[in-house]
Amino acid sequence: MSGGAINRVVVVGNGIAGLTAADTLREAGFDGELTIVGDEPRPAYSRPALSKALLLDGDDVSSHELPPTGHGATELLGVRATALDLDRRLVSLDDGTALPYDRVVLATGSRARRLSSLSEELTLRGLDDALSLRGRLAATPSVIVVGGGPLGMEIASGCLAAGCQVTLVSQGVPLIVQLGPHLAGVFVRAALDQGLTIVETGSARLERREGSARVVLDEGAVREAEMIITAVGDVPNTEWLADTGLAPQGVIPVDSHGLVRPDVAAVGDLAAFPTPYGLRRIPLWSSAIEQAKVAARALVHGHDAPPLRFQPYFWTEQFGLSLKAVGYLPLEGEPTYIEGEPGGGPALMRWSHDDGAGVAAALNYRVAIPRLRRMSQAAA
Amino acid sequence: MRIVVDRPRCEGHGLCEEAAPRLMHLDDDGELVLDREEIDEADAALANAAVRVCPVAALRIA
Repeated sequence: MSGGAINRVVVVGNGIAGLTAADTLREAGFDGELTIVGDEPRPAYSRPALSKALLLDGDDVSSHELPPTGHGATELLGVRATALDLDRRLVSLDDGTALPYDRVVLATGSRARRLSSLSEELTLRGLDDALSLRGRLAATPSVIVVGGGPLGMEIASGCLAAGCQVTLVSQGVPLIVQLGPHLAGVFVRAALDQGLTIVETGSARLERREGSARVVLDEGAVREAEMIITAVGDVPNTEWLADTGLAPQGVIPVDSHGLVRPDVAAVGDLAAFPTPYGLRRIPLWSSAIEQAKVAARALVHGHDAPPLRFQPYFWTEQFGLSLKAVGYLPLEGEPTYIEGEPGGGPALMRWSHDDGAGVAAALNYRVAIPRLRRMSQAAA
Repeated sequence: MRIVVDRPRCEGHGLCEEAAPRLMHLDDDGELVLDREEIDEADAALANAAVRVCPVAALRIA
């Protein structure tokens, strides 16, 4: 199936997904006119670094920087796409212009979900958020972080390291949804040892009372601090596609090649792609890269290009612990210890899913990732 | 051209090895080993892909 001649490709989104798509289009032999549209007025950067090294590194604010690009695209930065016309093959921009395309890559990512519209509610999603947070932490005695997922815990860890008093408000045990009871226990112990206050609640909302914002928990209990940061998930940036019908539930479903149709690919945090466990949106660095590689090749070569066979890889660094893991979440039940032993010390662990696949994880343990991948696949 | 590793910064994610297995690998201890000192023109795209994929900016082309 062909979408016609390819002279012009537009990549909408300049995160790692858009950047990787642009690079891969060139590797796949596309030598026509390539345009990248990015709403941030700066080159692409590493988002995972924002809540890890960037919050911690002393004067070094370069851990997020990516090397210069080599795709030779026209980069329109600080410009936002406002609409897509599938029939006329046009991307409309907020500067009033429109870009014609033969193929388009939708890679506008996602944004932080917010609990309120209060200006006091801070989130950490982009570089500006991280730099602003970094600048303010030193002068902030107390912080409340709402959200017990990996991002909330990383932020809480960074704030503690900066010398703040930190309260983490979490729906249930922090990290238990992502990492299961065993590893969540390990991380919570480390967090408590470092002085984190954890408040478990069923729900949390923000309100402004007498000129300052506060967090209201179940049954009306109130928590206050100089700074409130929320990390309660992300929302795909698909509003600009509303007229296309491509994102019926706010997410773009794609096939195993990352395509919506032969001339439209969707990659990164806004796409739900086929996995062994159904159609899933997997907003990870490694996921954005793999999706983008596969989809870019498919845009050029059609379905003859290899399909996506993604095996999630993710990592977190917090409270002195470093975790690297390969496989599909969640991590249910107790792991088998391949190296090390329970207790939070260096270890290699494996969880089995019902289908024989599994998750392999390295805790404070340096291991070659290909080995971790093999461990995740082989039944213990 | 050649690839330079910032050792203290490298966290052993190994995404570079997956991007360019011909040029580098992680050893059993998870330390990055560069298998080619000099990168020729034919491997330049691979080298760039490996550098780009590092989430902690531990690699660069010199």
